[in-house]
Amino acid sequence: MRILLIEDDAATSAYVSRGLSEEGHVVDVASNGKDGLFLALNEPFDVIVTDRMLPGPDGLSILRALRASAITTPVLVLTALGEVDRRVEGLEAGADDYLAKPFAFSELRARIRALARRPAQQAEMHELAVGDLRMDLLRRTASRGARAIELLPTEFRLLEYMMRHPGEVLTRTMLLEKVWDFSFDPTTNVVDVHVSRLRRKLEAGGEAPMIRTVRGAGYVLSPAEPGRPAA
Amino acid sequence: MIRPRSFAPRVALAVAVVVLITSFLGAGWGWLRAQGALRQQLDLVLAAEAEGLLRDYETFGLRGLAEVAESTSRRRGPLLVLLQTADGRPIAGRLPSAPTALQGFATWRRGGGEVPLRVLGAVLPGGANLIVAADLSSVDRAAYALAWAPPVAGGVAALVALLLGFLFGQGLERRLAAISGAARAVMAGDLTRRLPESGRGDEFDRLAATINAMLERIETLVAEVRQVTDDVAHDLRSPLSRLRQRLEAALARARDPAADAEALEGAVEELDGILATFTALLRIARTEAGAGREGFARVDLSALVLAVAEAYAPSAEEAGRELEVEVAPRVFIQGSAPLLRQALANLLDNTLAHGAGRVRVSLRPGAVLEVSDEGPGIPPEERDKVVRRFYRLDRSRGTPGTGLGLSLVSAVAGLHGGALTLGEGPGGRGLSAVLTLPGDEV
Repeated sequence: MRILLIEDDAATSAYVSRGLSEEGHVVDVASNGKDGLFLALNEPFDVIVTDRMLPGPDGLSILRALRASAITTPVLVLTALGEVDRRVEGLEAGADDYLAKPFAFSELRARIRALARRPAQQAEMHELAVGDLRMDLLRRTASRGARAIELLPTEFRLLEYMMRHPGEVLTRTMLLEKVWDFSFDPTTNVVDVHVSRLRRKLEAGGEAPMIRTVRGAGYVLSPAEPGRPAA
Repeated sequence: MIRPRSFAPRVALAVAVVVLITSFLGAGWGWLRAQGALRQQLDLVLAAEAEGLLRDYETFGLRGLAEVAESTSRRRGPLLVLLQTADGRPIAGRLPSAPTALQGFATWRRGGGEVPLRVLGAVLPGGANLIVAADLSSVDRAAYALAWAPPVAGGVAALVALLLGFLFGQGLERRLAAISGAARAVMAGDLTRRLPESGRGDEFDRLAATINAMLERIETLVAEVRQVTDDVAHDLRSPLSRLRQRLEAALARARDPAADAEALEGAVEELDGILATFTALLRIARTEAGAGREGFARVDLSALVLAVAEAYAPSAEEAGRELEVEVAPRVFIQGSAPLLRQALANLLDNTLAHGAGRVRVSLRPGAVLEVSDEGPGIPPEERDKVVRRFYRLDRSRGTPGTGLGLSLVSAVAGLHGGALTLGEGPGGRGLSAVLTLPGDEV
């Protein structure tokens, strides 16, 4: 993937670009808003990561300029710590995702992957499928093979989000934001309990596990490996 | 011109100038009025005298009149009388350069000289001319004397004003110097310093009282900030020293990839906890400062409470706790949905971590959001304290949590113009946390 990183803090910029390069991405770095906007307008990128506070035009101005020029490249906005209310502002300005500093690199990586996989113009799909797991978005039903799975509304939203990002690591923070609209980390293990319930429902017929826990990072939904016994 | 820089002398100078100008204008006006009135008076005297003389003429004839006129003229009074023939020859009395056949009032200067005369003439049936005259200069002198009074009084008043202004200015200077001295002491860092009050209860005292109340508030706020800073330093020292010990121990050990990875994972976990504390602190600070109010929108609190309760239902069940939700439909408020979600989540985190028994979440119109449980509750004397940052009950110290949850709930309530009240749950046991928020009319 080709990623544009607009970040004025040299240390953060070096750390992030090195991390992303090691992942096999090509990273272009701009250290101010003017250069960042120029690159974003003139070069094709898969994902743009921009700091919110920048010398020159700030992150949100860049975002508005891009959207005004009909450039729909997914944009992830980085922001200073503790600004909950700014998240909404950023999303309204056209950001595709928002991440507060300081962040774990694994969190940033997971979010960039989730953004890049998103089709530029998402066709309205009525059905999602991952392996033998199917979901009908109009009839609000899910099934695994021939077995219908009863899901509560929250479980349905959780599974839908996971099925839209198969094979990607989804962090707890991402799930809290996208499924529950929580912009904070509760001390209660809300996500883990929901995921383990969903997992039980997916494997209730003795099928192979589909949701894998990535330690210290989050969860991955992927097609069950054939021949692997049920957990 | 001298322009004093102090306030009171400047006012005094202005007053003095105004007094002087008005007194001179008054003098001019008074002079005109006095002169007019005195002349009118003089005309009446002249008319009365002429009338008396004409009566004498009717009684005693021209000869008798001439005698009276002669004697009147010789009296050293203000009045002069002249009786002259039709062609201007004097018969009796003295009045030099009199016009002939004068009829009615006139003013002229005797001999073209400096002394003006007011005269009244009457032509007698025989052709003789009677003239009564009075010296106008005495009238003018009286008017002049009267007109001088206002400027003299004005001058004195102006001098007094200047003197008072100077004295008052010095008093003012002293009081202001005391106030600015106190203000400078506060600036230099002595927040306990207060402005002096004279006790007279005047405008200065009232101003000083207001400023002192402000200083009081600032001192409290600074003390609070200092307390929070101390708490932050204190509460972050323990996880930071734990982190240091952990890393030091790992360093001292022989290199072993598995053990090193474990140590690093532990370190990251510890750091995540510290960062979570910072995030919570900043969020509280921003909320208390009123940030987020500009993003207020109409929030369907009923739906929000149901959604958060639903998110927590499996966790409650897993913890063996019954979760009872009773939500009045269509309760709306003006507010920040993300912060309200977090406030309710914090209350639920709190009861799941520290409470016991059945958890009741209820939303009543108004809007009153209540989370109660059947756990050990919080002793009444501790209820104010648990809302403070980092305050934790002794029995909670072993459980996870930052000690910031209720502080944020309280800050969110404050941001929305509401309040958080802690009390006993139903039946006098457990804890009830009541969030009262101003409702929005449908």
